[in-house]
Amino acid sequence: MVIKVLEIIVSPILAFIVGVFFLGLFRKITARLHWRYGPPIIQPVLDLIKLFHQQGFSHGPVFDLGIILALAGSIILVLFIPFGGICPLSNSGGLLVILYIMLFAPLGIALSGGEGANPNISIGVSRKLILALGYEVSFLLVLLTLMTYYNTISIVDIVENQRNFQWALFSPLALSGIAYFLILPAMLGIRPFDVAGAPQEISSGPAVEYGGRHLGLFHIWHAFSLFIYIALFVDLFLGGGSNPLTFFIKMLVVFILLTFIHGVFPRFRIEQAIKYLWKWPVIISLLGLILVMIIR
Amino acid sequence: MDRKDIKKWFKAPGKMGHKYSLWAIYFCTGCGIIEIPPVITARWDAERFGVIPVATPRQANLFLITGYVSVKTLRAIIRTYEQMPDPKYAVGFGSCPINGGMYWDSYNTIKHLDKYIPIDGWIAGCMPRPEAIFVAVTHLWTLIDQGKAKAYVNYREKYKYYRENQERVLGKLDWPPLYSIGGGND
Amino acid sequence: MNLAQLGFISFGGAFLTYLLGKVSSKLRDAFAVFISLILIIPILYFYGKTEELTYFSFLGLPLLLRINPLSWIFAIAIQTITSLSVIFSLSYMKGRERLDFYYLMLLLVNAGMLGIVLSADLVSFYIFWEIMSWSTFLLISYNKGPALQAGMKYIIMSIIGSVAMLIGILSLYANCGSLDITLVSSFITQASSGYTLFILISFCIAFGIKNAIAPFHTWLPDAHSEAPSPFSAVLSGILIKMGTYGFILFMYAIAGLNLFLNIGGGSFHYLFCVLAVITIIVPTFIAVLQDDAKRLLAWSSIAQVGYIILGITIGTSLGFVGGVFHFFNHAAFKSLLFLSIGAVEYRTGTRDLNSLGGLIKRMPITFTCALIGALGLIGVPSTNGFVSKWLIYKTLILGKHPFLAFIALFGTWGTILYSYKLIHNIFLGQLPEKFSNVQKSPVTMRIPVIFLSLVVVVFGILPGIPLKVIDTISTSFGFQPQNVEIWGIASETGILNMVNIFAAICVALIIAWLLFFIGDKKVNISQDNSYAAGAHVPRDKYHHTVEFYNPLSAMIRPYFRDFVDDFYQWLANGVKNVSDKTRKIYCGDLGYYITYIVLFFAVLIILKMGLKLW
Repeated sequence: MVIKVLEIIVSPILAFIVGVFFLGLFRKITARLHWRYGPPIIQPVLDLIKLFHQQGFSHGPVFDLGIILALAGSIILVLFIPFGGICPLSNSGGLLVILYIMLFAPLGIALSGGEGANPNISIGVSRKLILALGYEVSFLLVLLTLMTYYNTISIVDIVENQRNFQWALFSPLALSGIAYFLILPAMLGIRPFDVAGAPQEISSGPAVEYGGRHLGLFHIWHAFSLFIYIALFVDLFLGGGSNPLTFFIKMLVVFILLTFIHGVFPRFRIEQAIKYLWKWPVIISLLGLILVMIIR
Repeated sequence: MDRKDIKKWFKAPGKMGHKYSLWAIYFCTGCGIIEIPPVITARWDAERFGVIPVATPRQANLFLITGYVSVKTLRAIIRTYEQMPDPKYAVGFGSCPINGGMYWDSYNTIKHLDKYIPIDGWIAGCMPRPEAIFVAVTHLWTLIDQGKAKAYVNYREKYKYYRENQERVLGKLDWPPLYSIGGGND
Repeated sequence: MNLAQLGFISFGGAFLTYLLGKVSSKLRDAFAVFISLILIIPILYFYGKTEELTYFSFLGLPLLLRINPLSWIFAIAIQTITSLSVIFSLSYMKGRERLDFYYLMLLLVNAGMLGIVLSADLVSFYIFWEIMSWSTFLLISYNKGPALQAGMKYIIMSIIGSVAMLIGILSLYANCGSLDITLVSSFITQASSGYTLFILISFCIAFGIKNAIAPFHTWLPDAHSEAPSPFSAVLSGILIKMGTYGFILFMYAIAGLNLFLNIGGGSFHYLFCVLAVITIIVPTFIAVLQDDAKRLLAWSSIAQVGYIILGITIGTSLGFVGGVFHFFNHAAFKSLLFLSIGAVEYRTGTRDLNSLGGLIKRMPITFTCALIGALGLIGVPSTNGFVSKWLIYKTLILGKHPFLAFIALFGTWGTILYSYKLIHNIFLGQLPEKFSNVQKSPVTMRIPVIFLSLVVVVFGILPGIPLKVIDTISTSFGFQPQNVEIWGIASETGILNMVNIFAAICVALIIAWLLFFIGDKKVNISQDNSYAAGAHVPRDKYHHTVEFYNPLSAMIRPYFRDFVDDFYQWLANGVKNVSDKTRKIYCGDLGYYITYIVLFFAVLIILKMGLKLW
């Protein structure tokens, strides 16, 4: 019981530290890819300190509550995903609950952006929701393939089944793993799929009216969401980790690969993004599902 | 650059945060904006100073007014400056905001920008080189350290003066006064 | 109190309301509210009891009423939603004409639905079904104008269904000799499988039309959007679920679990699953493209009915429990949404999504309740929609139906899209100039929506309360019992603990709020003071609602039209053309008629003398 309470407290803090480290590493690696020096890795912490010492603007109560709801959704999602051996709420519903709690974040940002009353926000939110519709097809097929292959909906069971280097990526589920990796940039909102918060086009989309502490919460949410999606990929396809250190190393490898993709690609328009997301990842994951159904 | 001095971070985190994370709003005033893209791209990298361009004044705390200011642009500059959160720093870039510069006898430009929004510092030159921006940023750090970069407080305390100057040039303004002036007007 | 008295009070109350309306309108209003609320008490009294009684004898056939847990849960939902709708109509329908007629019809619909779920033989079932259908038709065409067309479409399709049901009833009477449901059930289990298939199909056509599953759904969008809002809530929340009740009655109470799952080697129930997923996916995306708030909600009702039918016909116990629970939840949050949109329509006079906006400042309580309804529709954890959807998904995934599960899960994302469009275009964004003096909704409109949002939230956190009742229903049909606790379900294939999840959400909200608090001061500014690239923001020009999902709409609009409706229109036009041409033989000229008679006699004489047919 005490261990569980300790895990509940420590888990979000660890996720926050890893997420902020990833944010800094992101800017550093992108800068080095562009042949410049880049900020120190600690820069997101400095940004957060500045943001919490700055005045903010609020358009109404739903504006505040929306971003709080988005951050709360990410914090609670961390408790459901195993991180090395740590998984406090593993027994309360499994992958389906994770799928549904992943809705809190876009919903919260959409609600707060609605009260911002700026058409840039509305365009950004509509693009975010359409992009989510784009990658959800492939994501759902991949998750269903996994759940059919291992015959369980609990993520802890899926990690258990991948012990001793029987990673799902090297089994008949390889096609699903490739499809999942193809849609990871869309889930994280990095190039080539960062059309929802495009600074040059729609003035940062949902973040256009955020200042001060709202923007601070937005960055913390961004850090958590980086952690959550990459941790989910590592858990489902790369065998989780027997302790947090191996888990973190696997996350680092995946993250560096994604940063390389971000640093090189330009941004897709929303129609091009939807056409891509509904073509190749869907075909590959559908083939993966049919393969698994034939085998099982 | 005392970015690595941990003791100072614990003693005055607000001040250190404002120094090493200056986000500049990407506002293209006049001819000087051509000097900004080299500053933020690979040749003269501004991101290692913590300066990144942001698209909206709500997220920014540094305003670079680059180049001459025409009467039409003054409206947008005042509106953008008022929409930025406190504490904010404004820097005039180029000779035209200082005293009119090349367009000292034009009917359509603003000769002394200091009368309309408060400015923390000036960079002289017709266009200054990109390194001058870095000199300005490091000088701004020194000013923030010594507590001398208080132009935004000036705006709040002497708002009547600024508002009268703005109305004299632009006519009746279609946004309400930012701080209460007192004394029945507008 | 026995069941016959219950039925008598509900029907008598309806007619008494009409007569009282001739005397005074306040008396009629008070009596309508009183009679609909008072009927809840006897239904609560019947909880857990099972009884049966004969109340009439019709041409030698006994007419029976009975109550069992299945009828109980339907009856309590019917009575609650109708009483809330009557309370809502007190303000909504104020000042309209023919109000006596309106209340009479509303209470008759209620009495008819109660009769359907309480009847234990097929003749009473058919009588109450017809009473309900006809009262519905009269209420749908209550408003003048396009409501008449909508009502016509509804009644024609409903009559086709009723005729199919009548064929089934007559055939059963001819072969079985009695129409008591228990006797019919024992006859069906011994009948040949071809005959069972025929009976099931003829009844399922009737229930499918009422339940609006594809391809029988075309009456629903027009009927729901043109009916008055309190009746739309009843229509969408309860009336289409009478088809669900019929399905459960015929598939499980009459045909029985084993027979139903094995007809045609298991392909009959799978056909329903396939129809259900088509009903989920296509109307969801048609709803994304709609511009009228009530039409959007109507298409959404069709989609959610797909979930209910999927749960019921998949044949596992978790699926059955999930399907029946989703019916209950859908009644709650769909009526909530229709009533909130009705309050908005009452105050602003329009339901066009392209012209509303920013009403959160003027109608905050309506916004909160509509938000809770939308969250329940999406299925956010800690609302009741989540629990029923979780049960349905789990049974699909573990039952090795990944394609059905995929389509059901993908429907949720379409639901998010249109729910957000509804909330954004009505309540968020900038307030247009012409709505700046809109008042809050009246008190009698607030009571039903607040009560329904409490139902959505409380049954989301403690789903065991309704799940226990549904578990008794499913065990009575022969399914496996589920291990239901007050906080969720603890089956051996995975635990669902809603109280844990809700507690975690609360703790996370508190943490996020504390983080928010440690920041610096904030300034409250008006919505006009928004970033516009340094320019002034003109009022009324800064709200982005038209073509909200423009890139997506452009891509999917050609594929997601109502093809079935087009087909039915083509069929109806074809029949009309043929009848028009055939009508031309009636030309009114006596000479032509005498020619027809002489020609007919000539043909008869040739047949007798030439071909010697008789």
